[in-house]
Amino acid sequence: MIPFFAGLATIVVAGLAAAVFRRRPTLADRAFRGLIVLGAVAAAWPAVRVLAGGAAVEVRLRAAVPGGDWVFGIDPLAAFFLIAILLVGAASACYGAAYLAPEAGHRPVAVVHLLTALEVASLALLVAARSVIPFLMAWELMAILAYFLVVFESERDEVRRAGLIYLVSTHTGTLALIAMFAFWGQLGGTLTFDALAAAAPAGIGAALIFTLALFGFGFKAGLVPLHFWLPGAHAAAPTHVSALMSGVLIKMGIYGLLRVAQLAGAPPAWWGWLVLCLGLASGVLGVLWALTQHDLKRLLAYHSVENIGIILIGLGIGALGAHFDAPVLAAIGFGGAVLHTLNHALFKSLLFLGAGAVQRATGTRVIDRLGGLARRMPLTWTAFLIGSVAIVGLPPLNGFVSEWLIYQGLLRSAHLAPIRAALFAAAGLALIGALALACFAKVGGAVFLGQARTAPARDGREAGAGLLIPMFVLAAACVAIGGAPVLAVGPALRVGAMIGGVGAAGAAAAVGPALGRISLLALLLATLAGGLWWWRTRVLARRTRGVAETWACGYARPNPRMQYTAASFAAPLAAAYGQVAGVEVVRQPASFHTRPRELVLDHLAIPFWSRVRGWAVRLHPIQHGRLWAYILYLLGTLLLLLLYLALQTGGARP
Amino acid sequence: MTWTALLALAVVVGMAPLIPGIAAKTKARLAGRRGAPVLQLYRDLARLWGKGVVYSRVTTWVFRMGPVVAVATAALAACLLPLDGRRALITFSGDFVAFASLLALGRFALVLAAWDTGSSFEGMGASREVTVASFAEPALFLAFVALVLATDSLSLGGALGGPLVQAWPAATPALAMVTASLFLVLLAEGARVPVDDPATHLELTMIHEVMVLDHSGPDLAMILLGHALKMTLFAALLIGAILPRASLAPLPAIGVLVAGLIVVAVAVGVVESVMARLRLTHVPQFLTAASALAALGVILLLVA
Repeated sequence: MIPFFAGLATIVVAGLAAAVFRRRPTLADRAFRGLIVLGAVAAAWPAVRVLAGGAAVEVRLRAAVPGGDWVFGIDPLAAFFLIAILLVGAASACYGAAYLAPEAGHRPVAVVHLLTALEVASLALLVAARSVIPFLMAWELMAILAYFLVVFESERDEVRRAGLIYLVSTHTGTLALIAMFAFWGQLGGTLTFDALAAAAPAGIGAALIFTLALFGFGFKAGLVPLHFWLPGAHAAAPTHVSALMSGVLIKMGIYGLLRVAQLAGAPPAWWGWLVLCLGLASGVLGVLWALTQHDLKRLLAYHSVENIGIILIGLGIGALGAHFDAPVLAAIGFGGAVLHTLNHALFKSLLFLGAGAVQRATGTRVIDRLGGLARRMPLTWTAFLIGSVAIVGLPPLNGFVSEWLIYQGLLRSAHLAPIRAALFAAAGLALIGALALACFAKVGGAVFLGQARTAPARDGREAGAGLLIPMFVLAAACVAIGGAPVLAVGPALRVGAMIGGVGAAGAAAAVGPALGRISLLALLLATLAGGLWWWRTRVLARRTRGVAETWACGYARPNPRMQYTAASFAAPLAAAYGQVAGVEVVRQPASFHTRPRELVLDHLAIPFWSRVRGWAVRLHPIQHGRLWAYILYLLGTLLLLLLYLALQTGGARP
Repeated sequence: MTWTALLALAVVVGMAPLIPGIAAKTKARLAGRRGAPVLQLYRDLARLWGKGVVYSRVTTWVFRMGPVVAVATAALAACLLPLDGRRALITFSGDFVAFASLLALGRFALVLAAWDTGSSFEGMGASREVTVASFAEPALFLAFVALVLATDSLSLGGALGGPLVQAWPAATPALAMVTASLFLVLLAEGARVPVDDPATHLELTMIHEVMVLDHSGPDLAMILLGHALKMTLFAALLIGAILPRASLAPLPAIGVLVAGLIVVAVAVGVVESVMARLRLTHVPQFLTAASALAALGVILLLVA
């Protein structure tokens, strides 16, 4: 554990260095990036060793507060999440250093770097925590730091609104978690995870724990219908913070669910079905909302809802497998969920970083004002394309591997009579995949291909190395997992088996032989496409090569405004599925727009909060600022507590 | 031996351009015309491969890459099917997903190539293509699920190459529904009537054809070949489901496959002759019917 804590300390020092040396930008920049990368490597080292088959490590601190020892440890589950956190965290922080540099004059960017570093450290602490008090402290730290990062551009109204909605949502979720741990903790004795696991209840107690966990952690993960805070917060934050939030912060909800499933034993069957159905709903609705959304960052945020859905499908299958004593299914389901979590962390943060580069280059993130950037930003486009192919789940990249693993779980439910109905989820996952393809064809095509639709898009410049290197590091990870799935699937299955409390051997034997074939497929695809490209180039070298205008049915002077727009591209899909998803279509003689309706936020959450606020206002009279009254309140409370103690002990001296 | 699988692959790739030709010939004959020769597409391919190219000023490497990826993915997807009746060249647990994803990658490449031209016609075609695919994909996966249920095998090679023969007598209605669904998916993925019309000449009504409007010369040849191959693969999948050939020797099995492909092509031609193409807004309903058929098949298999 020493390299881990040393690494976290280094990351914090990196943030402090950025703040302390803010008057000397070059030094601050170098120190920040260098120390962040160094700290991330050091902290990831024990995680890699655990995943490679090493023993789990643990450190126990005597705490001075109630609630038992403070335990920190790295087991395979924590290690898997740690690697995602540190890789994405380091890439986002380094990107942020370059991304915010132009704003250094008029905004406190050094504070952002400090907060980002602290955020990465608190995320890492969160997954390493093995007892409740440090877990909740890290959880709260993570949530609050993220709030300050989200409201960085606080002069804009929508940023403040998104920040407030985020803050209320995250605390609503935290309340559920505190209730869950309080209930669970009083069954055990101390609040360490080991004690919780030993005291895991059955029956109604288990039902209560799993319900509260699904609500509390589900809020953070952003599953439908608890997703409403997510698009606004992701769009409001500076881009590298969006990458960090979408890539790893919301995954802490998934981590929490998996940890609870591991500690509390096999979940009830209804919970598995509920998670599976919520996953399907999040997946389909998330991608439909993304299709009808034409703000680049909000669109990517809705895709996070979609991918959380895919992860939950795997989680649901794993839970059902664990409940019905099917070790292979449990390991594959949970393993697919953690692998897709890692993969989504990689390609979603890559896509956000790409979107940030576009925003820097053009000053807009409205998709229909862009176009033709592939020519002026070829490297950004290449990285963005890699991320797109990965997120759609196409071979030969990593998204395919994890979706394939989740499909494995779904198809294998055919062998288990009570859950065979889960087979239908395969069709849902197929629909999600096809719609995601449509959506990323829309984004890539409208933003990067064709002709520039506005002047800023025409003048866009390629991003600098400070933005490109983090993007290509993430892209390389996507390619590596896609080309050599054996690197990631084995550890993911071990994690899955650990969560399900089963052996990993069965699952490894079931899917292991396929991994080599997937690599072969990737290799053949690259060879075949490369060979054809080479042949075609050779053939064309000897042929005439004309240059002309794009064919427009005889019209000789096509212009950029005649191009298809993202809104019209998505129109048939909005027409076909819009009613399901609640999409608002604005049709005027010369314009056409679609946007998702915020059904839950506008019709449920905000009315509910206004009601609560109404009640709270009635309590105003007791808050009048007179000191004597407050002293009276204190005395009254003290008396009540003493009375309670006296009654509790029956008058005897404790 | 794998040489029969290789031979079968060569036969299927070789006769892929014949399939649209036979469909077109059937259609012409039923309409009382003589029609183009069945080998017309081979001639077109040879002619196009010998030509030069014209590129729009707007296009980038994405436009040139589209056809290459489309052909490469279709050829690789062919390696996943047990074309000689018993084994596929590449087979692994869950290769259903790889089959569908490879074809999806080809589609993604062509759609991006269409965007690259900056043409509103091609954007429109691409938009329709992905819409149709979003309805066809669930039907295809439900058919896969039915095959998994009927054969207890998690790979295309395993499901189509062996135990399907024994499954048919017990589950005839279910498998019949699944094959019907696969035929509808074939019509959609092959861009045939009633989803799309390969014979139309009005850009506004096209789907697949308008998406590749700007391609020329060898690029267009690759697109035509890739598309014919994709359609042939769906036909081969259909035949694999209807006529499991694991009990036949490899060479007769390949013969049966060839005959089956020709029959499917004729069937496509007959459908094109007796049906008009649907309005675009009705295509979703048509393909939802395909999903519903496959889902019914799955339910029957689950109940059995």
